[in-house]
Amino acid sequence: MASTLDEEIEDLQTKVSSLRKQIRIHTSTLITAPSTRLLLTEEEPATPSLTLPRADNDKSGSGISDSSIKQKLVFQSALQQAHNQQCLYRACASITTFRVRDPDPHAVDGGAILGLRIEVVSRAKFLRPYYVLLNRPYPGPGGSRHLRVHRHTLPPCIPLAGLAGRYLPAPTVGAEKSGSSGRQDGDAGATRAPQKQDLARFARALRREVVRYHHRLGIIADLKKAAGLGRTSSGLGESSERQRQPAALVDISPADAEAKQLTIEWADGRTGRLVMGDDGEILKLVVVGENGRDREAGRDLLGGAVRVEDVVKRLAAFV
Amino acid sequence: MPRLSVPTTARLPSSLRVDPSHPTATKILGRLSRSSLLTVALDWLDDSNLPLAQPFLRGDEEYEEELEDEDADGLYPPARSVEEVRDVYSSFQGRKGSKREVLERITDGDWRHGLTLYQLAMADLQYLYDHPTSQQWSAYRVVPLKPPRDPEGEEALEVDKQSLAIPRFHPSTFLKTLQAQVLPDVKAHYNFDAHKSLPLLLLRIFILDSPYSTNLGLQTTTTGTTTTTTTTGFDASRTVYIAFPDASPHIFISKPQTTTTTTTTTTITLSSSSSYSSSSGPSGGGGGESKSLRTLLLEGIPKALSRPLQRQRFTLQATKLVTRNLAELVARRGGGRTNAAAGGWSVYADDDEKDPKRKNETPLDLVLPLPVSPPLSSSSAASSFLEEGEDEGGKKRAVVVGPLPLSAGERREERVRKRARLVAQARFGDTAKVGDGKGVERVDVVLEDAFPQGPGESVAVEEEEEQDETYDRDRAGRSARAGRKSQVDAALERAEEEEDDDDDDEGGGGRREEQPAQVWRPNVRLTFHGSHVFAGIRQLVECGIIDGERMPGWMTGEEGVTIGAVRHGRIRGHKGSGL
Repeated sequence: MASTLDEEIEDLQTKVSSLRKQIRIHTSTLITAPSTRLLLTEEEPATPSLTLPRADNDKSGSGISDSSIKQKLVFQSALQQAHNQQCLYRACASITTFRVRDPDPHAVDGGAILGLRIEVVSRAKFLRPYYVLLNRPYPGPGGSRHLRVHRHTLPPCIPLAGLAGRYLPAPTVGAEKSGSSGRQDGDAGATRAPQKQDLARFARALRREVVRYHHRLGIIADLKKAAGLGRTSSGLGESSERQRQPAALVDISPADAEAKQLTIEWADGRTGRLVMGDDGEILKLVVVGENGRDREAGRDLLGGAVRVEDVVKRLAAFV
Repeated sequence: MPRLSVPTTARLPSSLRVDPSHPTATKILGRLSRSSLLTVALDWLDDSNLPLAQPFLRGDEEYEEELEDEDADGLYPPARSVEEVRDVYSSFQGRKGSKREVLERITDGDWRHGLTLYQLAMADLQYLYDHPTSQQWSAYRVVPLKPPRDPEGEEALEVDKQSLAIPRFHPSTFLKTLQAQVLPDVKAHYNFDAHKSLPLLLLRIFILDSPYSTNLGLQTTTTGTTTTTTTTGFDASRTVYIAFPDASPHIFISKPQTTTTTTTTTTITLSSSSSYSSSSGPSGGGGGESKSLRTLLLEGIPKALSRPLQRQRFTLQATKLVTRNLAELVARRGGGRTNAAAGGWSVYADDDEKDPKRKNETPLDLVLPLPVSPPLSSSSAASSFLEEGEDEGGKKRAVVVGPLPLSAGERREERVRKRARLVAQARFGDTAKVGDGKGVERVDVVLEDAFPQGPGESVAVEEEEEQDETYDRDRAGRSARAGRKSQVDAALERAEEEEDDDDDDEGGGGRREEQPAQVWRPNVRLTFHGSHVFAGIRQLVECGIIDGERMPGWMTGEEGVTIGAVRHGRIRGHKGSGL
């Protein structure tokens, strides 16, 4: 009895949440519809005379005065428009920036933070974006505008530290201030040369790494699919059937953090390692069987392919 | 067993059998619960593990004569087949009974001829799964080794291809090279295992202070004279765990024991029986030896990771995160997004697929996101009630179930409380909740800030600090953990030194140092203890005991360190960004 009641409650709650979601979707479309916007903006001077537009968006009780509702709606509409614009930028421009405030009362630079949002599209879907939050911790006239990575959500396989060192070097304030002797030195000039920070190039290089990484992951998934190694449960019977043929592949998986190396396993116990470059070009392939290196199997697998995508095509043609 | 035993650098074979009555074997098995013992026993009997965990069967010719000596139908008659043994343990699982019954069945019955090192390793790992906080782990970062720099020279970030390289790790190669680093008079048994729930690869290293890689080292021969001498060698053996998180250039190393020999109660020995501590008396020097063993390991691991032929050499760098909680380590130093976005920044990092509150996931979703913390306004009372019930336990329920008419004072109080919770949400994000299982149990911080001149500056925090300080002193006095304390001190001092370097680099901090020295800098060291330190701080913020808006950032745990020095209100050096 109690269980059925609980189930019923759960059922109703899911219904409520789905309805609420629908309301929000409808609100967001209605409020930015051109006609609604027209009503909201045009009636501004003639607010007291007209009460009709309220009927369109009548959500709550009629006890509240029209003008306050209207103000709310205008505010909401502005919010929604801003959000829409942000979404448009994010969808088209893959790297967007935003500003946040560090809640830490001791934060440098008054807690001002510049956020980079890197969009990643994989399998026709936007993934959760990666964020890099930059602050300006360097005081003084020389480095006040220099940025530094404060927080980020990039996985450790993205060489963020190296990229930051390359494109966002810290200012060498000490050398500049300590005296003119260091500055007149030829070496000092050379070390100061890369001091200029280039946020745009940093963001571009970072995004490039992120996208490459996701492409590599994607291609490994493609390889698996082409070799018939899907993670679906239906493949169970199929795989046992496949394992009877010794030349069948039984496992393809990334072997390192950057997904640049692949472990390939055959049904007869041969194992291989495929190394690909940053952009998916095949650098090396080694297949080791029982009697040492098995060059033939490697040639079989590659068939003159230079990119991993070609291997995917070959495998797909086989299966 | 060969007649002649020659010391070699080879590792101990997994199939080496230990006498089940041996103190170490009984210790490892004895601390498992009944259900875990049964799980382990059935695991041993699994087809994949069977070659290394053969039970004692009737058909064994090897032990046939032994059997005839004994009473063939004793308490535990040997089974005919593995299936029979399997059935016995499965039937144990079905009914209730004592742990002793299972233990005796294992040691006196089915494995009376000895437990292999592999079996012991499995049992030990089972203990680790049962008691995930039984080990204290330190996180290390694998960084490319650079040639030693001129100490006077500027520490500029090397801009080359190397700085973009991510260290790679291959288990069997690693093991082979690690073995080469270990001295021949020390024997070790290695066992890899993938962690059951976390993305980790665990390496258990069982170290034996014996030059023999045969049974001699384990001293299963019962010649009376050698018994006493070699038992100490076996008891001085230590277990070290190394955990390799997937897709992360970090390594977690468990601490085999404390540095001082007087307090050998850190990891394994914590729950050991008194028989062990009494027998460890004669091998008092063993502590120092295994300390050096640990340093040996610490030196050996980066070398084992390195591949000099490809000019890739690595070194380990401590990351000031020491905890017993592996889940926290994986979150802070793992392969995910949360490494450098802890505390309030976790709103940018939540990658949980199941979380319905995930924000602005895709730009194609035009629905306006809900306000960041919707607990009280937009979502219904019922849902927030449920959420709070899950999050904070029973205490908060009374707060939420309150649409009752309130007086003005109550309403103000309610608003303050609401505000405090919003602030807590802003400062901590979705982290530091009591039930999230990612708690650190100890945080050490040294404050190096000048004493605030005006009365306005962070008074609440100061009070909090003093309380903690006295608490810490009490605790230190009570438990007399001198060795532990000094170790922390050393770590903090190291942190301080690093801070100095750091300040020199930045110049800004250095300038402040040049201020007149009459600024009083009290030496304040804080230690937070608890099962989940930052969840505790969050609760204090939610209750309004700590002013969440003026609380410094390091109290939210967003730096991801457990040892640190605070200057200008921030933990310096690491800065949380992991760079």
